[in-house]
Amino acid sequence: MAELDTRAGASLTSPQNDTPSDSHDAAPPSSAATASGPRRDVLRAALIFLAVLLACALGYLAVVVPGAWFPRATPQTLPVKNLTLARGVGRVIGNELVVSAPDANDITLVTATTNLRSSDYPGIAWSVANLREDADVRLLWRSDFQPDKLNSVPIRVEAGHTLPTIVAKNPAWIGQITGVALAIHGPLAQPILIGGGVAKPMGAIETIADRWHEWFAFEPWNGASINTITGGADNQQLPLPAVLAVLVGASALAAFAIRRRRSAAFTIAMPTLLAGFFVAGWLALDARWTWNLLRQENATAAQYGGKDSRDKHLASEDAPLFAFVQKALTVMPSTPVRIFVAADADYFRGRAAYHLYPHSVYFNARDNALPPASSFHAGDWLLVFQRHGIQFDRTQGKLRWDGNQTVNAELKLLEPGAALFVIR
Amino acid sequence: MHIIALWIGWLLAWALGIAALLALYRPSTTLARPGGIAIIAGCGWFVGQFFVTLWMRLLAIAHVPFGTVSIGAPLVALSAIAAWIAWRRHGHASLRHVGPALRARPNADVANEHRVLWFALLGWLALRFGLLLIEVLRRPLYPWDAWTQWATKARVWYDLRTIVPFGGESAWLAAPVGSLYYDAAPNYPGTVPLTQVWSATLLGRWDDALINLPWWLTAVAFGFALYGFLRQARMGALAALLGTWLALSLPILDAHVALAGYADLAMSTYLTLTALSSLRFVRTRDWADLVLALVLAAACVVIKNPGKVWLLVLIPGILVAWLPRYGLRIAAACFAVASIGALVLTRIGLTLLGYHLQLDFDMPWNGLSEAYFTFANWHLLFYGALAVALLGWRHLLSRELAPLTIIVAAGAAFLLFGFAFTNARVWVEDQSTVNRATLHLAPLIVVWMLMTFREWSLAQSAPIAVVGGATTP
Repeated sequence: MAELDTRAGASLTSPQNDTPSDSHDAAPPSSAATASGPRRDVLRAALIFLAVLLACALGYLAVVVPGAWFPRATPQTLPVKNLTLARGVGRVIGNELVVSAPDANDITLVTATTNLRSSDYPGIAWSVANLREDADVRLLWRSDFQPDKLNSVPIRVEAGHTLPTIVAKNPAWIGQITGVALAIHGPLAQPILIGGGVAKPMGAIETIADRWHEWFAFEPWNGASINTITGGADNQQLPLPAVLAVLVGASALAAFAIRRRRSAAFTIAMPTLLAGFFVAGWLALDARWTWNLLRQENATAAQYGGKDSRDKHLASEDAPLFAFVQKALTVMPSTPVRIFVAADADYFRGRAAYHLYPHSVYFNARDNALPPASSFHAGDWLLVFQRHGIQFDRTQGKLRWDGNQTVNAELKLLEPGAALFVIR
Repeated sequence: MHIIALWIGWLLAWALGIAALLALYRPSTTLARPGGIAIIAGCGWFVGQFFVTLWMRLLAIAHVPFGTVSIGAPLVALSAIAAWIAWRRHGHASLRHVGPALRARPNADVANEHRVLWFALLGWLALRFGLLLIEVLRRPLYPWDAWTQWATKARVWYDLRTIVPFGGESAWLAAPVGSLYYDAAPNYPGTVPLTQVWSATLLGRWDDALINLPWWLTAVAFGFALYGFLRQARMGALAALLGTWLALSLPILDAHVALAGYADLAMSTYLTLTALSSLRFVRTRDWADLVLALVLAAACVVIKNPGKVWLLVLIPGILVAWLPRYGLRIAAACFAVASIGALVLTRIGLTLLGYHLQLDFDMPWNGLSEAYFTFANWHLLFYGALAVALLGWRHLLSRELAPLTIIVAAGAAFLLFGFAFTNARVWVEDQSTVNRATLHLAPLIVVWMLMTFREWSLAQSAPIAVVGGATTP
């Protein structure tokens, strides 16, 4: 932002392009000395930025590293295959343990046998997603010091994910840790995804690597992206914008202090320096964002590249629904008819309606309730997709749903979990 | 071939807008000044795009079916007429001003560093827009509201080749088949869906990736226009491009381009340009600026329902610019009246534009701080805006800055009122609306931040620029 204003200090617009009001632009640059000055200033500003970065990093590590900065131990992963779902209902899908329900006492318990030297591993990190914000989650462990005693500490939950738990200063974290467990008390709002755990030495390098990984984790488009951009991993202990804001602010203060002590330290003015730090911080964030966009392009190309419009839909998240609606459209009249959509999930109701236009579609955007039977007329249609509570009596030609609502109907298309009816 | 037709159709709309503005403006007042060409080029898109939707509304009223010819032929004819008028009115003068401006290059007096930075920044923006274009053209309609309340209308209107009404649930249930349609937001305006209808008409089919080309074009044109306005606000070429980059690199804005289908990008860009062209009109008193501002303001009303309120938000700032002696007092009175009105409305418990007002202050601070300072939605925008407000507080109500300060303050007050006193607070906590609502104001915050910083830096003893900047058209 070296030349913010055409009124200030530079010939920023060509004379022939300037109106009279702009013609009070200041004099052109003076000498070769001024040309080399800014280069030196840029170098010095960069050194200040780096020094502040180093100081902030050291300060941060001093606060967060619980034990040795350079431990000999390496992280010990607790892979999903080594986990046991002791209480609750779930199964392993891919690399994740998907727990769909707790046990009858509303407890979910996942255990792992370990052989960890407690002094080497001050922290345990579980990879758990889809938790409620108020979920009561605890880390349990046993040690060889008191084998019969079950120890526990709460695990913090943020944005539906568990945060790493530091146990180094817990008096019960002693001796060899023979087993760890993850306990969740209470009902689950949705199936939770457990991607395993890691026993962490939590040294300086690992801590920095963790932050780096959080900031630069690929954030693919998701349903919330139109509303908010997280900026890397869903769950971050130290958000990058805040870090860069601190760095920019501290660098500006440092440059200000240096300039007050030695006015000749910089040839460029303080506002220019400040703007430079700000733009550098913004650029760093924008570089991360651009890198994420580049990776997104790869993902999008893999999903949709070279496909026509129909095939793109068949490669989308709602492919089975789209395929069913396409079949339904071949059965339905080509002129627009009234059609109701029933599905348990908001997503499927909305998507089905979208695929059914220009038929005159009714879907409830926020509720899976259907209108009363009296709203249905002969000649109307009903598309059902993964909707519980709808029964069809083929012999009587009766369709019934919640609250004993009944209409006469004819089944026109049937697939597992999906059906198309015309009202008679 | 179809995609070429799509590009031609939209570039034609853009050309119409440019030709109309060229016919409107006197070259000596606009083209001759730095940034003039960029303003015409950028705002031309917004005028042309809006005209297309107006024309389609007229066709629907006249029961003329939508088609390439019924929509495209008038575009060609009107572009030619507007270009002819522009040529007749000031053809030679235009050439005299446009030619040199287009040929202008960084001159010998300008420091190489600035020239390099200017082009590097342009390259960086080109990379961004290249990536966004690929995403827009590849990805089928993705975000939720796009296929539950915006493209729903487009889909129906494209297939029926006219505009048919959308209504509420009870009205739909009672209406004869095909006379009334239903979606998740039947009361939302049709401007944005109509752009998708024109895309699909050009393609000859419903392709829910390619129909979103206007979102990308809107962002590109906004870049031109913003750069032009910043140049005409006496920013240097590099500073103006930096400002343009700051606005266009906002991740949430980019997400609204890449995941096209919402009306928030259009709302944000039209609103920003309405404000800037209104303030320019007050400065120049050129009726062409007034016409541009009115056209853009009219578009704001029919893009999103909150557009009406956003226009009200601009009024105090414009009054301050118009009547510098009394403007601040009038603006203060406006704020007082608005506060009292809001107090009354919240006591009544009115529901306005779908927001239920309630006299129960409960600012969702946590959600706001996450949205503005923790997550990556805004890069460093709100840190920068706060810092600049602190640094330049003495200048915020200076004659130069007061109008923009009042606009940004009124906009922020509107947003914060909505978050604190309506059911929207829930949508702040869950991050579902806070950033989209703020996006409408964000480019103006960028402009205000730059202008305030400039005023502050000018007030420092040393000039902030030692070496010259690049001269570009």
